[in-house]
Amino acid sequence: MLTYRPGDSLAHRLDPRTKLLVQAAFAVAAFAHTTPRGLAVFTVLTAGFLAAGRVSPVDSLRGFAPALPFVVLAPLVSVVTVSPPGVDLGAAVDPALASYRVLLVLLVSAVYLRTTPVRDSRAAVERLVPGKAGRFFGVGVALVFRFFPVLLADLRRVREASAARLGDQRSLRDRIRIVGTAGVRRAFARSDRLALALRARCFAWNPTLPDLRFSRRDYPVLAFGLLLVASVFV
Amino acid sequence: MATNTDSVELVGDAVVGNVARAALFAALTGAFAFVSFPNPISPVPVSLQVLGVFLAGIFLGPVWGGASIALYLVAGAAGAPIFAGGQAGLGPLFGYTGGFLWSYPVAAALVGVAVHGTSELRDPAEVGLGRLVGGMVLGTVVIYTLGTLGFSIVQDVGLVEAFVVSALAFVPFEAVKIAAAVGVVRSDAAAAE
Repeated sequence: MLTYRPGDSLAHRLDPRTKLLVQAAFAVAAFAHTTPRGLAVFTVLTAGFLAAGRVSPVDSLRGFAPALPFVVLAPLVSVVTVSPPGVDLGAAVDPALASYRVLLVLLVSAVYLRTTPVRDSRAAVERLVPGKAGRFFGVGVALVFRFFPVLLADLRRVREASAARLGDQRSLRDRIRIVGTAGVRRAFARSDRLALALRARCFAWNPTLPDLRFSRRDYPVLAFGLLLVASVFV
Repeated sequence: MATNTDSVELVGDAVVGNVARAALFAALTGAFAFVSFPNPISPVPVSLQVLGVFLAGIFLGPVWGGASIALYLVAGAAGAPIFAGGQAGLGPLFGYTGGFLWSYPVAAALVGVAVHGTSELRDPAEVGLGRLVGGMVLGTVVIYTLGTLGFSIVQDVGLVEAFVVSALAFVPFEAVKIAAAVGVVRSDAAAAE
């Protein structure tokens, strides 16, 4: 799982907003230039990003392991033609390039995950999304980080308890229903208590946000992000 | 540290409850991503995020159900490991799963509209079976349409290939999830809250 690791690399010291924008710019630019030459350039850039965060590419790929079968499968399926039945290797070139592009985008997003603490991500969301929607998403992100492991443990207990009573012999529908019902019940019970606690603590639309400030090293990186976006139109 | 010196603008009582519920359902959808059952026709197991999407629409209604699942996407993009298989970050949103992920809030809102209409929220346990199942079938259609489109665009393959690789092995299980969701809505345990 790709989570934050403390460090003092360049990527750690950048403002989270800079990192989000550059990631998005990279993805957009990689989509616009999915040619062998374009992807060669983006490979070098990806290596640069990984180095800037001192993130291992092998580690990052492991974090995205569930994505990998599809990335491999898509070009393979394109090779097979139905009418006339046969194999057309040429048809796999574009899907293979597309798969490689997805891989690069995943690697770059791994740098963000490894180098940005939750608190910074939350603050970035609150500043990037305007108005009350931004506040909702900011608070919400913090709450999801807080409650996701708790609910996951709830569900795990339910599944273990169910399995201990031979629940794993029941039909798939019943097993999903049991986990689903328990999940909904726990979610409602926890949200009621959370709402009470929020009201008791004067939950407001305008809390004091953690400090975020662009520093001198952010500007060249931001300019680079803009350059990536501009490259789409070239 | 900049301190906010404006007067405090309290969040209204009803909204506090809705924000808490939306956050918990987003977290629940994330936890469902880890509940997987082996898939006899594909190496990739069946996970339950889509059940979370349905339940958010059913229990929270179109507005807060949609907001809750949008929050699921934002939290995942911000780094919570709540996408399929514990993935996180902007990568999955721009990757081959992008179409599926972006369709979730739309599907949750649609399920909400189908179950509750556009005015007040109703008690889901009293909503007719046709509306419940119809809403979820509609949601499933939206998810797989946008998902297949997304996969086809991102991986640069034809729509048929995209459907075969990304969706075919999972569609049959949606029927099971819909049936299970009806069971959840009709069970006394969920209604007791």
